Amino acid sequence: MSKSVFWWVERALLLLISTIVLFPIAWMFLTAFKRPRDAYSLSFDFSPTLANFATVFSDPWNLGDMVLNSVIVATVTVLIAVPCAALAAYSFSRFRVKGRKFLFFLILSTQFIPAVVIVLPFFLMFRSLGLLDTRIALIVVNLAIVTPFVIWMIKGFIDAIPTDSEEAAMIDGASRLRVIRDIVLPMAAPGILTSSIFCFILTWNEFLFALILTRRDAVTLPVGLVSFRTERGDLWELMSAAGVMITVPIFIMALLIQKHFTRGMTAGAVK
Amino acid sequence: MQDRSLSYLLLVPAFLIVLATTLYPLAYSLVTAFREWDLTKQRRPGDFVGLENFGHAFTEPGFQNSLWVTTIFVLTSVALTLVIAMSLALLLRRKGRMHTFTRVILILPFAMSPALIGVSYRFMFNPEFGVIAKGLGAVFPALEGVPWLASPDLAMAILVLTDVWHWAPYMTFMCLGGLASVPRETEEAARIDGASTFRIIFGIVLPQMKGVLLVTAVLKTIFALKMFDQVVTLTGGGPGTSTETLAFFIFNVGFKWYDMGYASALAWILTAIMMLISIWYVRMLLSERKMATA
Repeated sequence: MSKSVFWWVERALLLLISTIVLFPIAWMFLTAFKRPRDAYSLSFDFSPTLANFATVFSDPWNLGDMVLNSVIVATVTVLIAVPCAALAAYSFSRFRVKGRKFLFFLILSTQFIPAVVIVLPFFLMFRSLGLLDTRIALIVVNLAIVTPFVIWMIKGFIDAIPTDSEEAAMIDGASRLRVIRDIVLPMAAPGILTSSIFCFILTWNEFLFALILTRRDAVTLPVGLVSFRTERGDLWELMSAAGVMITVPIFIMALLIQKHFTRGMTAGAVK
Repeated sequence: MQDRSLSYLLLVPAFLIVLATTLYPLAYSLVTAFREWDLTKQRRPGDFVGLENFGHAFTEPGFQNSLWVTTIFVLTSVALTLVIAMSLALLLRRKGRMHTFTRVILILPFAMSPALIGVSYRFMFNPEFGVIAKGLGAVFPALEGVPWLASPDLAMAILVLTDVWHWAPYMTFMCLGGLASVPRETEEAARIDGASTFRIIFGIVLPQMKGVLLVTAVLKTIFALKMFDQVVTLTGGGPGTSTETLAFFIFNVGFKWYDMGYASALAWILTAIMMLISIWYVRMLLSERKMATA
């Protein structure tokens, strides 16, 4: 008897948790398809419309430009950070060189520096270089946050690969670089892909840098949200439509690599 | 090629990135912290003023307020996140279809943009047409018309709520990772001996999770100290200055008042706080490891 009570309590708790997690997301998606009039009433009974999406993609909001900025900034950041980080992670994982511990600690400790500290000097430097409100500026500062994190993650994945086949290949006369290319890279590929997606998500959602360093031309999606706060009040149905545009690509990526995702999250941290 | 030189060569690109994007700006802001630099009056950095910017911080009410706000925020958000994450992990480590489903959707809050989380909670707690504000009012008539985000304490509570909603799932995965490495034999033996679930969790499982919980606590503390996005999109630091965290205050000093010297000094104070916590954490963790192996 007590077992069945526990069984029901457990299901009820799981249902409650799922609701708490899903409700805010679901409400945003619903609002995105409501007419302004319906957005301010709480009914579930409305005829869905795509009008909000048409509005945010046209003048004066031009969400399309922000999507483009976000895609370019996040993609280029990943393309620079991940290869560099993968090489460093291999070195940290496989070689025992002098000063290695110190270097690794140095790179990791940069994770503890608040973004606000980094962005002040960058603002001043980009201002004198005339690079404010450009995508290049955003890519450079995003690298600061993302690179150490990716090194840490990929190192966790490479650590988990046994060294036997590498050693065997080297005894057969393969060079270290060939071993890296032909043996380590294919085995580490899922980990590197996971790290890339992580890195993409971090950059895509980044808000502080973009808020400070962009004004009009290089504005990314999260900062674009703030522009729906107008003198006429907050335009919730448009904000929700923009919110859908921010979340859908990220949710798809996160769910695609779901298994690795949770492993990647914990790999570095628990060790 | 020799392994020795290759090992350094592989580090070069990543190290150059860290050098250029972190260490150089850090040095730049350290120098700025000792200068007078009002961007509205001076195009170039002004004179060295010694410790004046740092001294200013400790006499200025805005900074003291933000320290207090940050302390409250960090303590409540870390405590709540840890308790919820650990409980969820204990619940979710069992097998079952609903368990798996819940684990999968727990990824979503972490993947969601924190700025957007702030915006959507602002919408839901709007007293006129927010779905949570209205829903609570319908169920508990006493809560009808409560000005959620216009009341200092409630605004802080909602800010904490958004942060816990964002981070508790991630921390749940960390706890699940930790639970997976706890051997089940002692637990099974205790269960056969008739120990209650309550005693098994508090007497056997949690003590073995100490190390993982410590790591989780410190990571969460650091994320909470850095938290910025939701302050902008949810409360804007208000009402008044009641949710002005240290990161948000530094942002205001730098980019509303354009006082670069003072903002840099404040940024370094925040960094110092984080460094102290990290060092303290590494020492705790090391002593924990020693005790575990002894």
